[in-house]
Amino acid sequence: MAARRQSFGKDTGLQARMLLTLFLLGLLYAVFVGVLFAAGAGASLIVVVAVVLLLVQLFGSDKLAMAAMGVKEVSPEEEPELHGIIDRLCVQADLPKPKVCVIETSVPNACAMGRSQKSASVTATRGILEMLSPAELEGVMAHELSHVINRDVMVMTLASFFASLASMIAQFALFFGGGYGSDEEERDIMLVILVSVVVYVVSFVLLRTLSRYREFAADRGSAVLTGRPSALASALIKISGAIERAPSQDLRRVEGSSAFFIIPPRAKKSLMNLFADHPPLEQRLAALERLESQLQGGLSTANA
Amino acid sequence: MGLRDILTGRHQVKGPAPDRLFAITTAYVDLQAEHQIDPSGSAAIVFQALATSEFESTIKDMEEVVAATGGDNGTTVKTEDDSYGYRWMILRSRDGAPSVEDLAVGINAVSSSIETAGFGERLLCAVFGFVDAQKRRVYFIYNYKRGYWYPFVPAPGDAQERSTERELQLKAQIGSEMPLEPELERWFPLWGITI
Repeated sequence: MAARRQSFGKDTGLQARMLLTLFLLGLLYAVFVGVLFAAGAGASLIVVVAVVLLLVQLFGSDKLAMAAMGVKEVSPEEEPELHGIIDRLCVQADLPKPKVCVIETSVPNACAMGRSQKSASVTATRGILEMLSPAELEGVMAHELSHVINRDVMVMTLASFFASLASMIAQFALFFGGGYGSDEEERDIMLVILVSVVVYVVSFVLLRTLSRYREFAADRGSAVLTGRPSALASALIKISGAIERAPSQDLRRVEGSSAFFIIPPRAKKSLMNLFADHPPLEQRLAALERLESQLQGGLSTANA
Repeated sequence: MGLRDILTGRHQVKGPAPDRLFAITTAYVDLQAEHQIDPSGSAAIVFQALATSEFESTIKDMEEVVAATGGDNGTTVKTEDDSYGYRWMILRSRDGAPSVEDLAVGINAVSSSIETAGFGERLLCAVFGFVDAQKRRVYFIYNYKRGYWYPFVPAPGDAQERSTERELQLKAQIGSEMPLEPELERWFPLWGITI
């Protein structure tokens, strides 16, 4: 069969960077687990506790977060427009329809939650529904559905498992640390604490990097799904402008699960891009612009 | 979707499934004879219109081809954009002589030229309009991604409500005649159908 023409080229660079980040995380975690086992008994208890926490996080955290943020599921009768957009995107993406929710706040934002495609939900704030045109809203919802398709909640939760474990050990040690056992045991414990702190710091940076890559992937997924990269770009410009102007009190209320918002609800500009969980707006717009020119130029330029 | 796709957050939009569009041309006979549901004489194909010159010229060429072939049997073509930004290409049989075969051939001509031009993943669905004995509108929707049909019956009035009961009756009546979508939660409604 002849090669199928595609509207968008491949983004090999992004995929390679994402795999490299995952590889580094895996390596780091492998070393960490090695040290834990070498240190012996106490560590295995912590692992058990951490696994329980992980399960709670996977199966309960979305409900907790949703309750805390005042998320309300809406029926097609209540929000026909939003449901209509999501219905069509689900047909296009061949995805079972997620729960559709709304937060009654004027801050424009959207997020996706749920560990699997079956239990997924997408949420829009009242502000975003009022602010965006249908095409822009479609772009944003396609971005959130891409998070669902890519199983981002699952990937990020699993990827941060050992990071939370390391931070638990470090904190545990700060409260109860030292002062018992022989010199040798104490040295082992100090080593574990030290390694935990290092693992936590390094994995924090890696996880934030991974999160930014997932955002790029979801932007790209949205463009592929709707065929309108520029509509999403226009939506991002509108939302980020509004978020910078929005009062900070509302922003604090919706803090919490910012990793899955389309734009993180934080007003202050940070120079420390290394620690940001979303890429800077300029980079996202540039990526979307590249997609739009691939679309306009057809395959010939995309593969060049 | 493989593990690598999940890890790298990569996904492609699915192209059309193996074509079962023509199932309607046998199913409608049964609908008409057994269940008094007559074709309304209209059908439409819904797709995402890409805002590129290449796509626009593909659509323009195709419209001409369909209009030309339709000239023989009296089928007319009309193009509309809905409020969601999807394009509807609406085919209408000559008044008084609805022909589901001609409509299906026309719809198939549109979808295959979109596919041939390499835009197959932009196809959303095809809709065939019917009218039952009580003069209520009944639609059969063909989902290109999945290659399945499902009935869609809007409740009377302007509210966006559907008569799920009627749809399930239709499922029982002609489920054996045509490939119906097995997962009920994928019977996505399509509001604002103008045919």
